Amino acid sequence: MATRSACRALERRFASAAAAAAAAAAARPLVAEVRSQRNAVFSREQARQRALYPRIEKIEVSMQGPGLDGTLLVMNRGMSTPLSCARHLTEYHVNNSVLALVDGEPWPLHQPLTDSCSMTLLTFKDSDPTLANQAYWRSCAALLGQVLQTAFKDDYTVELLSTPEVPVTSGAFCCDVALDPQLDSWTPSEESLRSLTKGAQQLIHKDLPWEPLEVAPSVALEVFSHSRCKQEEVEEKAAQHPKGRVTLYRCGDHVLLSAGPLVARTGLCSQYEVTALHSLGQGPWGLHRRAQGLSLPLQLQAHHTVWRKLRQRAEKLVEVSRLEEAAPPSPPDSTPPPTSQ
Amino acid sequence: MRLTLRALISHGRVARKMGLGPESRINMLRNILTGLVRHERIETTTARADEVRFYAEKLVDYAKRGDTDEKAMKMASFWLTEKDLVPKLFNVLAPRFETHSKGYTRMARLPNRENLDRAKMAVLEYKGNPFPPLYPVKKDNELTLINQLLRGYREDRAQQLATKA
Repeated sequence: MATRSACRALERRFASAAAAAAAAAAARPLVAEVRSQRNAVFSREQARQRALYPRIEKIEVSMQGPGLDGTLLVMNRGMSTPLSCARHLTEYHVNNSVLALVDGEPWPLHQPLTDSCSMTLLTFKDSDPTLANQAYWRSCAALLGQVLQTAFKDDYTVELLSTPEVPVTSGAFCCDVALDPQLDSWTPSEESLRSLTKGAQQLIHKDLPWEPLEVAPSVALEVFSHSRCKQEEVEEKAAQHPKGRVTLYRCGDHVLLSAGPLVARTGLCSQYEVTALHSLGQGPWGLHRRAQGLSLPLQLQAHHTVWRKLRQRAEKLVEVSRLEEAAPPSPPDSTPPPTSQ
Repeated sequence: MRLTLRALISHGRVARKMGLGPESRINMLRNILTGLVRHERIETTTARADEVRFYAEKLVDYAKRGDTDEKAMKMASFWLTEKDLVPKLFNVLAPRFETHSKGYTRMARLPNRENLDRAKMAVLEYKGNPFPPLYPVKKDNELTLINQLLRGYREDRAQQLATKA
């Protein structure tokens, strides 16, 4: 009798616990589901944009650059990318090009060309690699965002906020993130930063390409239908863009939003470390955290002494002024980070 | 004289023989030196350039005495076969090297001559000549990613030192 009532009590307790868990799980869609849904929408939109050119039409691309001036390549409209133009040239161009300048406009290497144009391939060792440097910084921040999204267990939500545009001289790229409220009191130890770095290195090793896709805001809103924060970001970016379109990038499984062109593939980074995770205070989406990292490309590797000094500087918090027009290079905060390492 | 082997073996002999004899050697060096003063950068064989170097520097030392000096004028008129170069020596080269105490010339090796003899060639110049430098200075690009990061690091350190001081 006692056992039966005890059993019933236990059953009721377990049932209520299970019901609560089920309710919670149903309320928060599974991370894998969200990812696969975003991937599906991206692939669908990509296939639709490719199908806009059913017949092969030829365009003429004239290459500019050292040793290439005036080379004329005949490529396909809507199918050939600057990377395929580089493949027609040499292996050096394929491995070392970071970004393309199509008629003076920065163009990601995997985006298909739509018109006859003149193209320059940018590398890190040009006489003016500013655009390449900015694109590289943005891509490293995007990679950090991807690592953070996949690093935590499925019980905890991770909201990627908009990555601020940081100049290269500030010493580190940042990725703003709002973690689950359960993790508010968590401060990352050195081990956790190292495991994040290891995750990033795994992605770099896989050499995944960043596939760009220019879409209408409605499609972007559909992609990020599970995240209110991302939808607001989409609307912001659509308002800033002259044509009102939004560029999405996909790396492996992860679909992300970016302010400007990204680099061709993850394999271009060689030295990559996640240096710090600072708390910035409460925001509209929870506790704002800024993850910072430091990276150098494959062609510009640093000696370990130099790397150590740069890394020490990258641990300090990078202040970002919220001016849209001109982001003045704000000096980083020299106070030690509030979170213990 | 004793017909020893020592006369034939030239171990330790530093004086070079050039041309048909000592007089011929001086005449050759005079011609090369005139060319050097006229053009300020010449290409010859390494041995001749090395020989002329000594005389070129001594000539400038004499020229520094000024053209009113008897000995200096005699030296200049002897060594420069084209007499329109004598004013150039005293009015252009001597003032140029006023601050230098020695080392008015620079010598660099060139690839061997294309002829059958494959002679070792060298270029000899007076410093301060108007031509582009023999050893061009390659400046690092300030705008590469790593240099920009280092620039930020340096500014940061300077700022920290300024706030500490």
